[in-house]
Amino acid sequence: MIVRNITMLGHKDHGKSTLIGSMLMLTNSVTKARIREAKVYSKKLHKSFEPAFILDSFHEERTGGLTIDITRAEIPYRDVAFSFIDVPGHEELIKNMISGASYASTALLLVSAKKDEGIRDQTKRHLYIARMLGIRNLVVAVNKMDTVRYKEARFSEMRDGLLPFINKIGFGEDAVKFVPISAYRGEGIVSKSGNMKWYKGEPLIETLYAMSADESNDSSGPVRVILQGFLDGKKDLIVGKLVRGTLREGENDICTIPQNERIKIKGIIVNGKRVKKAVAGEPVALQLDKKISGEARGSIICGFLYCPIPKSTITARIFLTEMLGKDFSIKFNGIDLPVKSIKVNRYIDTTTGEASSKKAIEPLNAADATISLESKVPVEKFDETRELGRFVLYSRGKFAGIGTVL
Amino acid sequence: MIEQNLKTLEEKSIYILREAKQKFSNVAALWSMGKDSTTMLALARKAFLGKVPFPVIHIDNRIDFPETYAFREYLSKKWNLDLIVAYSEIKPDPIGSACCGRNKPEALKKVMKEYNFDALIVSIRRDEHGIRSKERYMSPRDEKFRWDYKNQPAELWDDYASKATKGHVRIHPLLDWNEIDIWRYIQQEKVPVNPLYFSRNGFRYRSLGCTHCTVPVKSDAKSVKDIVKELKITKTEERSGRSMDKENEYVMQRLRSLGYM
Repeated sequence: MIVRNITMLGHKDHGKSTLIGSMLMLTNSVTKARIREAKVYSKKLHKSFEPAFILDSFHEERTGGLTIDITRAEIPYRDVAFSFIDVPGHEELIKNMISGASYASTALLLVSAKKDEGIRDQTKRHLYIARMLGIRNLVVAVNKMDTVRYKEARFSEMRDGLLPFINKIGFGEDAVKFVPISAYRGEGIVSKSGNMKWYKGEPLIETLYAMSADESNDSSGPVRVILQGFLDGKKDLIVGKLVRGTLREGENDICTIPQNERIKIKGIIVNGKRVKKAVAGEPVALQLDKKISGEARGSIICGFLYCPIPKSTITARIFLTEMLGKDFSIKFNGIDLPVKSIKVNRYIDTTTGEASSKKAIEPLNAADATISLESKVPVEKFDETRELGRFVLYSRGKFAGIGTVL
Repeated sequence: MIEQNLKTLEEKSIYILREAKQKFSNVAALWSMGKDSTTMLALARKAFLGKVPFPVIHIDNRIDFPETYAFREYLSKKWNLDLIVAYSEIKPDPIGSACCGRNKPEALKKVMKEYNFDALIVSIRRDEHGIRSKERYMSPRDEKFRWDYKNQPAELWDDYASKATKGHVRIHPLLDWNEIDIWRYIQQEKVPVNPLYFSRNGFRYRSLGCTHCTVPVKSDAKSVKDIVKELKITKTEERSGRSMDKENEYVMQRLRSLGYM
């Protein structure tokens, strides 16, 4: 089955883990033993049965009623399998949310319709991050409809409140759908809810099927191989991942960047077998006609006619989870690169998508910035080649945020 | 049970194994002679062109099944494995079982220290257990083997955790695989397996521990093909024959946070 990775998004307590737990049970995708275990534990903590416990396995998650770290749950539907990535909704756990969301191509945002809950800063911040990570498709589940007597007006209020922000940060009009549900009561998820006859759309799972797309690699684009290094004990074989294009044996319109040396592909090995060509997504072992000068790791192999020009200055959008200390670095293309200087061109408030009046980049906010590095690297725009247009920020060795090249 | 694309799984595992060899200077792997760690070795042979380029450690409490010992001798010879046997004691353990609870990580600690390994490949899968599903592909452990599960490093795209300042990093190349994927891969690649997995007198071992803590489950699956067929329709848990998992999820969490595999 083709797996479609779907990340959950949303403010804490708006029902992300509960929804996945409910979906697992409604679709019979979880063993009885796992449900029994969650039931026993709920009872032990003097709670009524909590479907979220099927996902939240840590003792602290169950006693605290929160998700601390990511987990996955697989649900088969029609000809695909959804792999739901559950993420924490708490601000202080946002690095875990980013980790989980980075593997998805589709997002399922939860927003609670309950009185005094509704659209929160974290609701919008998660959307902003998802968009930065390159997620294109979005389904918004308006949850806890049972607490507002299934009123259409409340559903519309949530939709109208969120849509301008969603469109502002770059999700296309056709790439977003809203569905009213009750995760706890299992309504509107796999079948239409009799309590919400005013809703004319499909139930949640069918909407997800229609809105999510199979993940695909760009085999027709220009060749890009990200090099990991030499194969263990073999100095004549170099290993890496072909992230774009198709590579053929004998090809000689090929070069290494930043070395800028023209090379020829003498042999290709994919998954242990010698092959005539490799396609995007495959890990490759390559035999070249000459030795690469300098370090292989951090370099790329690409088509000679269409290759990125190595740069030491990068213009990027960054999102911070920590304050940047004096010395910080970026991890790009497999290597750590110390940052010489950073100049902010624009501060962005991630809860409005607007320019911010702030004078410093604060955690949980974003900025467009120019970053100067000590050395030249083979960088491309994120929209062009994702793998060469994104990086992770570290401040004193600690994860501090992410960046995408503009 | 969901069957995933084997090529996609294989490619990611190969990438992670190669990445482990690039990032760390002294890598070792745990090998229990079970289906998962043996599949991992088959993947390593593909990643490194026919050779397993790291030592494999068997934590031996001396009461594994005779078939398991025979399989160890057979495959380590056939695949020319650099085998390290680390003996563990059997003594009462307040948290886990006496045979395979905390005494195994204690033996592992000794051997990791003796050889100065900085990374350890462990063939756990996300679908085995709620606690294992919370793991990263690369996960640091401190010098006492503790897992700081409340503060795991970020892991996104192909960027995995770097060297642990003290202690070592666990590498989990099979995290994405489901039980049925392992068997489909064994079938496709003709990976040799421990004969205990096949049905004898109506019972087979679905998950292998030692002779003290593992019981066989009802099954008529006599071949790899039969097992794949059985798993397509089974409603029972993979580790239902493992006594240590029976208590509750918290036992696994406490054991894992103390360095259990």
